[in-house]
Amino acid sequence: MLVYIAKRLAAAVATLLLIMTITFFLMNTIPGSPFLTEKSTPQQIELANQKYGLDKPLIVQLKNYIVNYCKGDLGVSLKMQEGTPVKDILFKQGKFELSMRLGLLAVLVAVVLGIPLGCLAAYKRGTWVDGLLRVLTTVGVAIPTFVLAATLLIYLGVKAQLLPVLSGSLTDWKAYIMPVISLSFYDVCYIAKLTRTSMLDAINQDYIRTAKAKGVRNKWIVLKHALRNSLIPVVTFLGPLIAFIITGSFVVETTFSIPGLGKYFVESVINRDYTIIMATTVVVSILVIVMNLVVDIVYKIIDPRITLSSSDE
Amino acid sequence: MKQAFSKFSPFQVDPEKVWADYGINSSDFAPATDAEKENMVEVRKSVSYWRDAARRFKKNTVSMVALGIFIIVLLFAFLGPSLIPYDYANQYRSSQKLGPFEYSRKEALVKSIEDQVDCMFATALQPGSATGIDPGDYYFKYKGDTYCFNLEKRLGEAVIILKDGELSIVRETHIHNGEIKRSTPLEFTNEITDGAKQLKVATKVFPHMVGTDSQGRDILARTMYGARVSIVIGIVAALIVLIIGSIYGAISGLCGGVVDFVMMRIVELIYSVPEVLIVLLLQVVLKDPLQKWFDSSHTWFANALSTLGAGIVSIFITFAVLYWVTMARIVRGQVLMLKKQEYVTAATALGASNGRIIRRHLLPNCVGQLVITTCLQIPSAIFLESFLSFLGLGVSAPMASLGSLCSDALGTITIFPYRLLFPGAILTIIVLTLNLVGDGLRDALDPRLKK
Repeated sequence: MLVYIAKRLAAAVATLLLIMTITFFLMNTIPGSPFLTEKSTPQQIELANQKYGLDKPLIVQLKNYIVNYCKGDLGVSLKMQEGTPVKDILFKQGKFELSMRLGLLAVLVAVVLGIPLGCLAAYKRGTWVDGLLRVLTTVGVAIPTFVLAATLLIYLGVKAQLLPVLSGSLTDWKAYIMPVISLSFYDVCYIAKLTRTSMLDAINQDYIRTAKAKGVRNKWIVLKHALRNSLIPVVTFLGPLIAFIITGSFVVETTFSIPGLGKYFVESVINRDYTIIMATTVVVSILVIVMNLVVDIVYKIIDPRITLSSSDE
Repeated sequence: MKQAFSKFSPFQVDPEKVWADYGINSSDFAPATDAEKENMVEVRKSVSYWRDAARRFKKNTVSMVALGIFIIVLLFAFLGPSLIPYDYANQYRSSQKLGPFEYSRKEALVKSIEDQVDCMFATALQPGSATGIDPGDYYFKYKGDTYCFNLEKRLGEAVIILKDGELSIVRETHIHNGEIKRSTPLEFTNEITDGAKQLKVATKVFPHMVGTDSQGRDILARTMYGARVSIVIGIVAALIVLIIGSIYGAISGLCGGVVDFVMMRIVELIYSVPEVLIVLLLQVVLKDPLQKWFDSSHTWFANALSTLGAGIVSIFITFAVLYWVTMARIVRGQVLMLKKQEYVTAATALGASNGRIIRRHLLPNCVGQLVITTCLQIPSAIFLESFLSFLGLGVSAPMASLGSLCSDALGTITIFPYRLLFPGAILTIIVLTLNLVGDGLRDALDPRLKK
């Protein structure tokens, strides 16, 4: 187990370095300079470049990034909040915290609603409950987030005035409702579909027949025997989902005016704030990689038959 | 064998004798001719894989309904624009920000005239110096006289006054610039004369069924156009994924060994890249260089791509770079599985070439998987495109896609919610029906997967 994790971590470091390199060259190909404004003179740009080390050869810049990141230094913002350490922007100004709070809540909702709904559909297979859930989930995965978010905003926020239109920094519990619904709706439907499918798969297995023959109640068969074995696809889906959802969704954050990380990243790309782009990419990548590793370990816990080895595919 | 057996059989009988017992005479029988033998062979065509799949698909009600709705959406997107008189890019001045079925002042005027006059018959398309017609001239008959008015020219407030439901036309001299005038020279019949060639019969004022946007563009026309753009992007992106993914996966699966190992590590790397971030970066990075390339290069290829616009081309490139990995994995898995099948071993033993094995054995057997995955790739491509356009990175105005329409509508959403809901609903319907069709295809093409 430990050897396996060590191997995976080594691979993760390599992946991370590659992602940093790709991101670095991509963002340096964005035309224009972060310091280019209507007023700036070439001298000013030159000075700013020198100040932030952008005049050095690209390879040296990349090396600096990597060395500094190893020391835990994420650099300072070049443009959007000039001079402020990126670490403070991401973690101390509450951006990451805001996105993470929303995201974790959304994941929780997705799991708490999605898995039971999927179980229910599988348990009631062929009845109207199953039919209704199938229609709902099939339509649910076809609705784009921005359409859903905007619809909620119009009808619950503006017309009915039940919930605040601007969620802001999420000080009120009411402010959470619409963003969390928008964030989790697709995932609830997707997880419900996934659970139903894999549950039906599991129900056809021999051990279920044995349990039935023993006289175990249908309800307990679904809950104790089938569920555990049908969770693997859900866990696979959840891993990367958590990583992406807690780092913020641009669509939801824009629609509900939440100053979170997702919105900030898009703004940083548009503003060419190199250090912020790099830091966000690295943070998200680390989360994705870690979550994938966690998923593989959770597999092992759910299903002891699975052997952890990095060699076979 | 039979002889050997009969030798030891204790029940040796003469068939002639048995037949005689039943009153059958062997001379009544004659050997069958070839033609008769032919008839005896049961005529039943073997059912091909595709025919079988089509039969299964037709039996699937949900998928057939979804297919029907998708075809209606296709007609809406591809034929619709020719049915309505509005254009997606044209900014109709003075008809900005109209609600559904609202008319601008100008249109309301034409419409009220239409309701009042004997007949409204022609409007000029091009200036005709010979006939003295200006573009935008409307001709109508009122109480036996032909009148002409022009809406494009500056129209005074008091051109046409409706009094007690009666149309009264203000005299020429009362009108600023003389926009309404008695017109005699044009006599219209159903026959096309030289003068009439430049005229079209004035159609009834067509309502803006979903209203117009802040630039005066008809939203219905834009949604039709946007749906077309989104569908085309989805299909092309899915084809790109199909081509790259299946070639990559096939090579990896067929070669095996070190090649397979290296190729699969690359796939894993792409999997762990945070795709949304890289997609965003790619979009921003590609836009300007592509535009420059379009401006400088004049080959047919560059011209064709430049009509699509840099935004759409960079979406295609994004798909070509990042989104083929799932397809590659599926194809590789299929190839690995099929490679071990007995019939492939048999073909190899019989000396079939690699090409023949791929063409005759591997390809037909994984084509079902390819079709399914490609079909399900289309809605996800449409999703991604709409997301990017929503960020303002995909297509750029005056072009439209469903995503960019939703994004444009976001600013005024509290006042005009239908501007977002209408394209949003079309987008949802497209994705939904394609998902259902894809599910139906999966059940039809690969019955083993049926859940």
